[in-house]
Amino acid sequence: MIYLGMKISTAIRYFFLAIYNAAAFYVIPLAISFESWFLLLIIGLITLLINFTYFSQRFQALKWITPGFIFLIAFVLFPAGYSFYVSFTNWSTGHILTKQQAIERLEDLSYSTDDQKGVEFDLYVLQDQDLNFYYVADLDDENLLFGRAINDDQYDDKFFATHEPSLKNSNGEIIIPDTYYQLSGKEQIANSSQLQELALLIDKNTRIKLYNISVFGASSGRLSSSQQKYSYDDVTDTLYDNSQNVECTLGLRGNFVCDGESVDPGWRINVGTENYQRIVNDQRLRGPLSIVTSWTFQFALLSVSLAFFVGLLLAVTLNNDKVKFQKIYRSIYILPYAIPAFISIIVFKGLLNPDYGVINEWFAPLYELFNIEPINWFRTKGSSRAAVLLVNTWLGFPYMFLIVTGALQSIPKELLEAAKVDGATPRQSFWRITFPLLLVSISPLLIGAFAFNFNNFTLIFLLTSGGPPIVGADVAVGYTDILISFTYDLAIAGGRGYQFGLAASVTTIIFFIVLIISAISFRYSKRLERVYGNL
Amino acid sequence: MEISRLISWFRMYGWRHLVGIIFVVISLYPILFVITNSFADFPNLANSKLIPDGFTLKHYESLSGSPLIPYFRWLFNTYKIASIAGLLNVLLGTFAAFAFARLQFKGRRVGLITLVLIQMFPAFLAFVAIYLLFFQIGDVAPFMGLGTHIGLIMVYLGGSIGFNSWLIKGFMDTIPISLDEAAKVDGASYSQIFFRIVAPLARPILVVLFVITFIGIYSDYILAAIFLKDTNLYTVALGINIVFMDDFSNEWGSIAAASVIAATPIAVLFIFFQKQITGGLTAGSIKG
Repeated sequence: MIYLGMKISTAIRYFFLAIYNAAAFYVIPLAISFESWFLLLIIGLITLLINFTYFSQRFQALKWITPGFIFLIAFVLFPAGYSFYVSFTNWSTGHILTKQQAIERLEDLSYSTDDQKGVEFDLYVLQDQDLNFYYVADLDDENLLFGRAINDDQYDDKFFATHEPSLKNSNGEIIIPDTYYQLSGKEQIANSSQLQELALLIDKNTRIKLYNISVFGASSGRLSSSQQKYSYDDVTDTLYDNSQNVECTLGLRGNFVCDGESVDPGWRINVGTENYQRIVNDQRLRGPLSIVTSWTFQFALLSVSLAFFVGLLLAVTLNNDKVKFQKIYRSIYILPYAIPAFISIIVFKGLLNPDYGVINEWFAPLYELFNIEPINWFRTKGSSRAAVLLVNTWLGFPYMFLIVTGALQSIPKELLEAAKVDGATPRQSFWRITFPLLLVSISPLLIGAFAFNFNNFTLIFLLTSGGPPIVGADVAVGYTDILISFTYDLAIAGGRGYQFGLAASVTTIIFFIVLIISAISFRYSKRLERVYGNL
Repeated sequence: MEISRLISWFRMYGWRHLVGIIFVVISLYPILFVITNSFADFPNLANSKLIPDGFTLKHYESLSGSPLIPYFRWLFNTYKIASIAGLLNVLLGTFAAFAFARLQFKGRRVGLITLVLIQMFPAFLAFVAIYLLFFQIGDVAPFMGLGTHIGLIMVYLGGSIGFNSWLIKGFMDTIPISLDEAAKVDGASYSQIFFRIVAPLARPILVVLFVITFIGIYSDYILAAIFLKDTNLYTVALGINIVFMDDFSNEWGSIAAASVIAATPIAVLFIFFQKQITGGLTAGSIKG
């Protein structure tokens, strides 16, 4: 019976192995064709690990560990290393592709030569539900061409025009299918800047362009021939611009340079420590970054201190056997902690709204008393930072309350009674005995809270999005931005293009800061000894 | 006489209740504010009254039916992602923990220390690399690239598996090894020991870790924001914060209703498991 069971498990194992390997061998050539070398490396390593683990009978432990560790390696360890690698490249908008991909892209570009003047014919402009433009070109009886109009410098044989005699009825009038909308002359004029860029492909070198828009009758189109704009010479590693007849040479920043102008797209190259140098030397980057860094530390420190202060106050106040309703208090104080932060932040965004918010309504008497304008919470540096700390204290104090209460209850009562016998006042015994013992037991948790707030992206991003903006900065950055939210804007969401290389160098710096915080935490908490004890 | 007793009661205990009640108000006010506004006929950011003038369910009704704001779709996505990732996380974590707790092998110490070290770095720190990695994965295998739930689930898996296996391993250490040895004598294989003895006995910690992982993923913003671009694929955290925020004060009623629906199950789950979640090692790892 047991023997049969093993047979089945072996069969299952080989079944899954076969599926995995089939997938891997499907994906590996693709990764090669896309030149995703890092992806290839990681797929290769995982494939080796899996086959090594499950074909061999010897490594019992690996069989248990491998499934989980694959994800750990692929999506935690590997990205950390990859991030480090990216920080030494100029990977950013305009330098997204590899060199090979950029050359292929450049060679696909074409330019029009308007050499077939004179040949004019009726052209109708249509639009489908997704607002893509289509042309119907009435060349002659043999050629009623229809197709999607694409950007003039593009080439894609998917969009070749087709002969559609069905679009014309027996009277020679054009019939538009229901799913399309025909643009009138006026509408064509309104869209003319867009239409100018479009063309209907006939073959590789010929396309139809809108030539003259007519408000009363049909507009006219013309044939134009197009040619490949750039040709690449792999012997000399240069590009030739056929439209201008100039030779383009290899630039220093991962692109070709024609007549002193760099050609887009370029490709990503290794730039050494340039990103780090920019952080240190580039005035327009260094200024905002130092504001952000110092605020990140202030924010984390103040958040922990304020929440700890409130939590301690409440815990000490309520931690007395004769105080009734403790359970009720406790269960209410947990609520701010129990609600997902992204919800609480929305509510506070409403409460702090300068025009309609309740908090300003409460403050209204104060504003009147001191004759000042109501605070526009998210407008100025000081008030938005205050708002961030206010909200974070509300979010954080329940946790502090819980851990301080726990720590207080674990302090031996005899100790305090002995102090009382020796004549210590309650105040003395609190500051001399309770508080130091408390700090010892919860300091690792405080450091943990510091590290958490150091990277508290959700709060900053959802409450203020980093604003108000720092004026004059070279990048999208604001006064409440912390390092991680600043990096996020830099890399993906700042609206000034993707700056992966620079962002990765900032995350590398954050990595090291977290590393230092953790080292301190280990040192003070003796946690490592506990870890060793647990091995 | 009565008054002086009252004063001495206040000096002993009364002020404690005063402080306590002030913070009860501070804790509860924003919560009650959003709940009552979600039922209010005229929800108003400026309305500090906690008892609204009229009671209505229209904001809850408005959440279903609009194709532009597929709220319940977001909710479904979130539950789907968080439960799949949470379950797999605990399952794979338990496998790894079993090896570390019960098997002797080379590299065990190094493996354990690696787990502890990794756990200190939040997974989203390397988000630039994760973005670029999945951008390339999308070229090769579009079903798990950027913009897909599968890719996002895989990232969540990597992010908390180290932490979970470490804690499960600690719990397994407390299960008497004599149970395994007895089974071994009876001819049980390692997988039988795992499935029949160790895993069932470790169930309490597995449930808690599932809940913690679930809540953590439910509340995640940054990784979901990096991955998901299609409104229909959003999680609830993304949906509420991206789609509703365009017109904050006019949408306030719907936002309040959406918040109440999204927060209630999590709050209940959290309060139910509060002791385990806030206890010891697990501290500080959850909110986000």
